[in-house]
Amino acid sequence: MSSIAGNPDTHSHDHHDHGHAPTGLARWLFTTNHKDIGTLYLIFSLIMFFIGGAMAMVIRAELFMPGLQLVEPDFFNQMTTMHALIMVFGAVMPAWVGFANWMIPMMVGAPDMALPRMNNWSFWILPFAFTMLLSTLFMDSGGPAAGWTLYPPLSLQTGDSFAFVVFAVHMMGISSIMGSINIIATIMNMRAPDMTLMRMPLFVWTWLITAYLLIAVMPVLAGAVTMLLTDHFFATSFFNAAGGGDPVMFQHIFWFFGHPEVYIMILPAFGVVSQIIPTFSRKPLFGYNAMVYATASIAFLSFIVWAHHMFTVGMPLQGELFFMYATMLIAVPTGVKVFNWVSTMWKGAMTFETPMLFAIGFVVLFTIGGLSGLMLAIAAADLQYHDTYFVVAHFHYVLVPGAVFALMAGAYYWLPKWTGNMYSEKWGKIHFWLSTIFVNVLFFPQHYLGLAGMPRRIPDYSPQFADFNMWSSIGGFAFGVTQLIFVGVIIHCVRGSKAKATDQVWEGARGLEWTVPSPAPHHTFDTPPVLDHATWEHGNRESH
Amino acid sequence: MPQDANIQQRRAAARKTAWLLAVVVVAIFTTFVLSGVLGKA
Repeated sequence: MSSIAGNPDTHSHDHHDHGHAPTGLARWLFTTNHKDIGTLYLIFSLIMFFIGGAMAMVIRAELFMPGLQLVEPDFFNQMTTMHALIMVFGAVMPAWVGFANWMIPMMVGAPDMALPRMNNWSFWILPFAFTMLLSTLFMDSGGPAAGWTLYPPLSLQTGDSFAFVVFAVHMMGISSIMGSINIIATIMNMRAPDMTLMRMPLFVWTWLITAYLLIAVMPVLAGAVTMLLTDHFFATSFFNAAGGGDPVMFQHIFWFFGHPEVYIMILPAFGVVSQIIPTFSRKPLFGYNAMVYATASIAFLSFIVWAHHMFTVGMPLQGELFFMYATMLIAVPTGVKVFNWVSTMWKGAMTFETPMLFAIGFVVLFTIGGLSGLMLAIAAADLQYHDTYFVVAHFHYVLVPGAVFALMAGAYYWLPKWTGNMYSEKWGKIHFWLSTIFVNVLFFPQHYLGLAGMPRRIPDYSPQFADFNMWSSIGGFAFGVTQLIFVGVIIHCVRGSKAKATDQVWEGARGLEWTVPSPAPHHTFDTPPVLDHATWEHGNRESH
Repeated sequence: MPQDANIQQRRAAARKTAWLLAVVVVAIFTTFVLSGVLGKA
């Protein structure tokens, strides 16, 4: 495939460094290069994935059998809270920003992100934010234990460490906002001349919409936790009923942020899967335009469904009906996406390399999470499901074999481009199959536990829940150990496996990122590339 | 137009976009906190 005409310059630009590029620690501290910063984000999120995972192991170990065995109840609650905060803000979100940093400039033909120095700052805030958050576990008052939703009045009973939690959330928010501003500015202003919006790869589209979501909702979270902070330390009563405040108002504000946040974690996953499935089906994406509009529809709807998280709080019937139907409406654009992924595969010349396996695993298992979401959307039924393990099963299906599988898929897909080496296909497939088996052993029994009435966020439970909990814990430990394979595959690939990657890497791959050498040089597209038809052929109308 | 100038122009436009978005962020934050403060007044 030849996509760049008359631009031999686009390939290697090491001459720009003139030998002055910093090395060692200074390179990583002061880097403004989008690929370096992408790598930093990805390494950081992998570390956070294991820290948050270790907390999940504590939770599953305690729940292995009824009774209190290993940890105090308050510490158990700190684990559930910190596990969620770390996985959401420290693992999944930074991982997507890492992918965005690495891939968006290359996909749109830009030399770098629009604001490279702010890009450096966006990343380097994060280690400090999470050090501060994790440090609360070692303070006298302990870490936050009220759940990641930080509902008052319970969250206001946290000791002095609460200030650290709030400031950590502020810093994560600032990092996310700066990252999103950079992504929007890059996509809107830095595209190669011929890269029109409707020629952009789906991953770029989904990230553009995600970035707008972040811009809209992170300040809302910042406002909510600031008000919590003043309630806690400055005797205000925004949410304190004793002072005339309204704790339910916090729930409304939190979920006005919180529901779009769910889509912030999953829309880039839709984008990655929409890149991978056409590649390994050797067909253009079915319904490119519909995919773009479906993504935008999901983003819009995410702003008008927040109260489905609080059906049991006591709302007017009309309110419950509105939020129930609005939530169900999300199934339509999501269904369009699943239909289009399946239609892309239909009659394709499919092969099943590791990225494709993870992408197909995503489509099947994410859909299970979506369907249990529809069950939860039924306001009357939610009175039974609310605050049970059914909810835990639902969102973990969406986030683990959903978002995390898409992250794995993307990592395997682009790893050869990043490193110049092919990963071990054999170990990649072992990683996929063990992950798929154990993620279901881990989370599927939790549906039954929830339907039987086991509440979430408790360290002890009635003996009738023992068997399913034991299975869930076994699945959890095995899933955790399986992820070490992933680390092994990455290290092996980075250090240089025998198989070297070609520039295009995958036979069916289309797009600008596959036109540069593997590994991608430090600088790419200093001169904007000239696009040819094959580069932007996504299956949209213009291409036929 | 030389490509470099084009890149400079695009970077300048990107900075404008960034400032605009920063103003939007501050406006949303202020609106939510102020509505809380005024709601309590």
